Amino acid sequence: MVRIKHRYLLVHILYPESADSQSKNTSDTSEKSLPYLVQFHRPSPNELTPQLLARAIRDQVLLLYGDYGLGLVSSSLNVKYLSPATSTAIIRCSRDQYRLVWGALAYMTHLPKNSKQAPPRPCVMQVVRTSGTIKKAEQEAIKRARAAILRTKRESGDGSADGLIGLFSQPDEEAVGVSGNGKARDIAGSDVSDEEDEMDVEFEDEGD
Amino acid sequence: MYYDLNIPYAAENHGELKQTLAFLAELGYNTVALNHTISGKVPENVTNQIPSPLPFSSPPSLHILRRCTVHLSDPSQNHRLNNISSAYDIVALRPTTDKCLQQACLGFECDLISLDLSTRFPFYFKHSTLAVALERGIKFEICYGAGILNSDGGASRRNLISNATQLIRVTRGRGIVVSSEAKRALACRGPADVINMAVLWGLGQERGAEAIGREARSATVQAELKRRSHGGVVDVMYGGEKPERPAREDKVAKAKQGIGKRKAEVLESQVADGNVSPRPISKREQKRQAKKARLEHTNTQEGEAESTWKDRPAPEASVPPEPLANGDGE
Repeated sequence: MVRIKHRYLLVHILYPESADSQSKNTSDTSEKSLPYLVQFHRPSPNELTPQLLARAIRDQVLLLYGDYGLGLVSSSLNVKYLSPATSTAIIRCSRDQYRLVWGALAYMTHLPKNSKQAPPRPCVMQVVRTSGTIKKAEQEAIKRARAAILRTKRESGDGSADGLIGLFSQPDEEAVGVSGNGKARDIAGSDVSDEEDEMDVEFEDEGD
Repeated sequence: MYYDLNIPYAAENHGELKQTLAFLAELGYNTVALNHTISGKVPENVTNQIPSPLPFSSPPSLHILRRCTVHLSDPSQNHRLNNISSAYDIVALRPTTDKCLQQACLGFECDLISLDLSTRFPFYFKHSTLAVALERGIKFEICYGAGILNSDGGASRRNLISNATQLIRVTRGRGIVVSSEAKRALACRGPADVINMAVLWGLGQERGAEAIGREARSATVQAELKRRSHGGVVDVMYGGEKPERPAREDKVAKAKQGIGKRKAEVLESQVADGNVSPRPISKREQKRQAKKARLEHTNTQEGEAESTWKDRPAPEASVPPEPLANGDGE
């Protein structure tokens, strides 16, 4: 069976700078008291839609690689998933050119770029996983979100967290065990061995 | 382990630096070097400008080093690199002219050569000079921060990419360290993103990963060895400890009190004092004397008719007086 091979990039949108420069109306003290983990993984503004993100990436590719690069990339570039609440996105691109897209992501500094509603905010796009199937990217996203919640609770020293840690960490391990061959890799970029499966084809049909 | 060996340090901007360090820890870096820049004349006695425990709390997972970068523009100037290297963990040079680059490669004592790649150089890098530096264990640094922030409308990014590819071509990809030189947290990128950037510059996945891991580590370890060890080769990690011995006086004092074995010196001193106590007789000696006495007793009873050989023990009387102490003499 011949099909177009893709790469799925799981991307965290991080906000390294505190929001006081943009939103003066929110009280400064509440911003300062948050642990850094929560500050960096802040929710994205609701104005950031998948279309806007895709257009921002396209613009960046055009800026970096010109018409030739955009021509190579644009046929398969697609934002599959974007959750403003967790600032996580899954971006699909063709397998041959995924490094071009990744490079464009690394050079991005502001989001949303050309939206009329929201002013651009400084952000860092961190690719945490590349995989050949969307399923693996999804699993990784769930795993990381769960770990982030636990870490935040532990860092903030919440007394109620102790019981919760035990409660949540168990299903976490189970989930990893059930997924079977789910290799927990921290570093993206080297996992080429993933096989594409039925799930991938389904998503592909939807996307196009 | 991921390294970022260039985070500019500014004394008046602690809040932002704290945030940058927290962000680097969040991205997954383990070791960070704070950088103090000296341009122009080097002061006579160099002191470390970066306080050793930082005045604010830094993330516990982050190991912080202190580094100094000296701008080289005048080759005739005395840069007092030895003084600097004793005050800082890492010493880097930033040559701006062709001649300075040559000097830095061939002669100057340093750990890193950090060219400002966001400007255009009016000369080409030559393999023959850079290879000498690589032979000496000096690494070349590529700072990607200026290319990301791109404050001057693309020129710095273009220059950075062009110079980085040049540098990688000339050094054949060996001895390259990639670091951020991020004045804001915004210019930092995660380790995987940096590796991808290095791949786009033509460094290759493996070499790219080494550039922020192994090569950077070897630069810091070599720098540390240069300062601490003998000739940069031998280093004593742990010299061991001497086992503690009980003092000798105890034993003599004990003997003087009459506990334990008596020492010859003690005995002599007692003899000199005159209070010679008769030597106590061992059981064996007692038995022997008793037997002797018994034999002699029987001899005298049996009469003189017996042969003379039994009289042999007779000269007992000439034996030292101790046996007499037993009390049952003839």
